[in-house]
Amino acid sequence: MIIAERKPMPEILGMLQGARKVLILGCRGCVAICSAGGDKEVGVISAALRLGFKKAGQEVEIHEETFVRQCDPEYLEPLKDKGKEYDAVLSTACGVGVNFIADRCPGVKVFPALDTSFYGANLSSGEWKEMCAGCGACVLHLTGGLCPVARCAKSLSNGPCGGSVGGRCEIDPDVQCVWHMIYEKLQEQDRVAQMEEIMPVRDWRSAGHGGPRRRVREDLLP
Amino acid sequence: MAAMGRIVAFCCNYVTSVPAEALQEAGLVPEGMEIRRLPCTGKLEIDQIIGAFADGAEAVFVAGCKIDKCHNASGSHRAAKRVKYAKKILEELSISPDLLEMIFVERGEAGPVVEMAQVMQERLEARDASKETAT
Repeated sequence: MIIAERKPMPEILGMLQGARKVLILGCRGCVAICSAGGDKEVGVISAALRLGFKKAGQEVEIHEETFVRQCDPEYLEPLKDKGKEYDAVLSTACGVGVNFIADRCPGVKVFPALDTSFYGANLSSGEWKEMCAGCGACVLHLTGGLCPVARCAKSLSNGPCGGSVGGRCEIDPDVQCVWHMIYEKLQEQDRVAQMEEIMPVRDWRSAGHGGPRRRVREDLLP
Repeated sequence: MAAMGRIVAFCCNYVTSVPAEALQEAGLVPEGMEIRRLPCTGKLEIDQIIGAFADGAEAVFVAGCKIDKCHNASGSHRAAKRVKYAKKILEELSISPDLLEMIFVERGEAGPVVEMAQVMQERLEARDASKETAT
């Protein structure tokens, strides 16, 4: 899922300066699962904004709503008109939702409440870790299911750098060297010889270096 | 006891059996202190804590069961973690996190609640005194 984190309150209050009527718009997609932008977090941000505005002596009307998702056009439909009633719509969706509102809802002033961080997994309650970089050219079949693009600090394609010590990355001893993990995983599966195959130079265009990406599936188009 | 600022205490139902009014009548807690009884402090959400400040409370504390004696196993433990997060929000808003505390109390014991109300009152007095000195 997409992992995000609430921006610091002074930053949020700063972007809402001058607004007299604000809608905090939550999303029940990924950001709700990672406890950054669902119904509960909308409530917390709302209470914090009320307190922040009160402390600053500003009277601001705050409304709360949460959509099923903010990345599908049908869910944004009601916002096209309703959003115009507000001086600011503070979206607690990931950056996709904020962009989509900006694209689809002309006249609606949308602001981000979150910093969108990465694609990750839930390790335990309250802890998430990056697992995928969305690079568009998956090599997990060669690496025992472990991603060297997302999980190697240098995104190396052909084995570890010289910096790892005892299976730990040189950037941080708390970070495991993914190439060490890949070696152990392939060894466990009797596939270690696969590491001798040299991965060709990556074409990073699929990773967004060739401009914004788009996917079309003809059979599903209207 | 005169009230310096409004204090809200979120109290676990199993912790405080004495009503706030009785404590006030006995002069044990500041006037205007409000006790909001909860079935369990584990039910308390961060927006309720921050919302109490937004609604006019100047100091808030949460009284839950002793960590290892929580009637609902882990309610007060959860509340303590939420209080910690709420303190972070207060800090972000440049409000002293010392105006929010969590205490763990034996079942039916009102003493620690009274003590914490007095501590909060003192903190508010100190805050106001430092404001006056600054001006």
